[in-house]
Amino acid sequence: MTALIDWFAVPLSYPFMQRALVVSVLVGAVCAVLSCYLVLKGWSLMGDAISHAVLPGIVIAYVVGIPLAIGAFAAGLSCALLTGYLKETSRVKEDTVMGIVFSGMFGFGLVIFTKVETDQHLLHILFGNVLGVSVRDLIETAIVAGGTLAIVLLRRRDLLLYCFDPNHARAIGLPVRMLHYGLLVLLSLTIVGSLKAVGIILVIAMLVAPGATAYLLTDSFERMLVIATAVAVGSSALGTIVSFHIDAATGACIVLLQAFVFALAFLFAPKRGLVTVWLQRRADAKAAT
Amino acid sequence: MIAELAVPFEYGYMLKAMWVSALVGGVCAFLSAYLMLKGWSLMGDALAHSIVPGVAGAYILGVPFAAGAFFAGLLAAGGMAFVKARSRLREDAVIGLVFTALFALGLVMASIWPTSVSVQTIVLGNILAISDEDVVQVAIIAAVTLGVLSLKWKDLMVTFFDENHARSMGLNVDWLKILFFTLLSACTVAALQTVGACLVIAMVVTPGATAYLLTDRFGRLIVLSVAFGAGTSFAGAYISYFLDGATGGVIVTLQTLLFIAAYLFAPRHGVLAARRRRIEALGART
Repeated sequence: MTALIDWFAVPLSYPFMQRALVVSVLVGAVCAVLSCYLVLKGWSLMGDAISHAVLPGIVIAYVVGIPLAIGAFAAGLSCALLTGYLKETSRVKEDTVMGIVFSGMFGFGLVIFTKVETDQHLLHILFGNVLGVSVRDLIETAIVAGGTLAIVLLRRRDLLLYCFDPNHARAIGLPVRMLHYGLLVLLSLTIVGSLKAVGIILVIAMLVAPGATAYLLTDSFERMLVIATAVAVGSSALGTIVSFHIDAATGACIVLLQAFVFALAFLFAPKRGLVTVWLQRRADAKAAT
Repeated sequence: MIAELAVPFEYGYMLKAMWVSALVGGVCAFLSAYLMLKGWSLMGDALAHSIVPGVAGAYILGVPFAAGAFFAGLLAAGGMAFVKARSRLREDAVIGLVFTALFALGLVMASIWPTSVSVQTIVLGNILAISDEDVVQVAIIAAVTLGVLSLKWKDLMVTFFDENHARSMGLNVDWLKILFFTLLSACTVAALQTVGACLVIAMVVTPGATAYLLTDRFGRLIVLSVAFGAGTSFAGAYISYFLDGATGGVIVTLQTLLFIAAYLFAPRHGVLAARRRRIEALGART
């Protein structure tokens, strides 16, 4: 028993681990709430695109001398808007346009990154550096996460209706365009807020897995929000501590845990789990004979 | 001045990097013609991330990287198809889920055994320092893919345009699709070496989309696409000599610039041509 307590307590006796834990739990929670909407809307890969596109924004912001978060946010949002614009004005399909825009921005970001002397580590931007977050980073993340969370939860019904059935939303007089761009802005903000903790590549996982897991477990959206948040917070906390013990990349550990929870839900979900359905069918067959 | 521009051609490693890039760029561009038709563009991105644990595992075990990557790629494609068929999740969520999980697995492996493979190489590629064994693997992959594609390109085209029609012609549609995904996985592995996991998507999407804006005939689309892919890759590797690195970034930036040019100036499908037609139509009416 004491071994178990120590397993949790020892990492948390280090201040950097405490900060890491708080940041990853915060980021996990915000991403989880957004992931529920993205899964419904079919925008899972939009998070992928925006997060890659953030790179040139960070480098340019560094060169110009404005806060990196602002550059990142502007770049992420312009990727989303540019994708929409190019899709409207050319005959290329949306997914192709998305791929072109974000890979182009990422590639351009890499080129200018090699030409600019920065104190930023590329690998930290890509994979996060949660063990090195400062108190200031923590406060910044908390502000972004708290703000996003508050807005989403306040407008959760409007956003839900928009994701589920945009035409119906328009018919009952909701500002559909505003909700569309609002969701994109919130998504970009979340990605920027998660940069420090998980980096731009793994944030995609946090924006998909919790919502997908919860979607397998329940039909009620309110419950889906709660389950997704619980899954994400649990995986973030456990993943941070596991990464301390096995000395592995923290962001990757969190993502792997989330994927593991998804696998469990996929197999054992009460109504639709693979194993559950199989057992049910066997029981039915037995009852029939 | 001219002597300076010729400098990259004097180094063996630069020559190697340029022709390997051109080869990989050409083959990936061939595949891109099909991918963007079908709306499977992000499959290329997903595969590129998914093969990372295979590459890491192959380096750790000391087997050829192509074997590990290929195995992981097939695992990913199979996993996606399985989860998609057995759950009510949308395709995009399934793709996002599977590839990020595999990618994270690769990162954990690389961080536990850091000496075997560098994360930076996987993510950003490292064509300038490619080893001779890797060149051989890439060349074999590219040659086989090109050979199969040039034999089967018409069958694949029919399959991708209209599956039912292809079936009525007596083509084995499922087999052709599996063949295509096998080729795609193999080329993703080759492209990973050149531009890295994050930029593979550009290699298997952008040249095809650029060509698509310029022509309506599929045969010509393939020729244009391959020319763009090979040309930008060769030029990108060449330019990266003067920038001290970021070969993948330069190649992809060139491809994107070419796409923008086509988007603006394409004779029939470009934005400017559309505007000119609109103005002419207005003029004709008054």
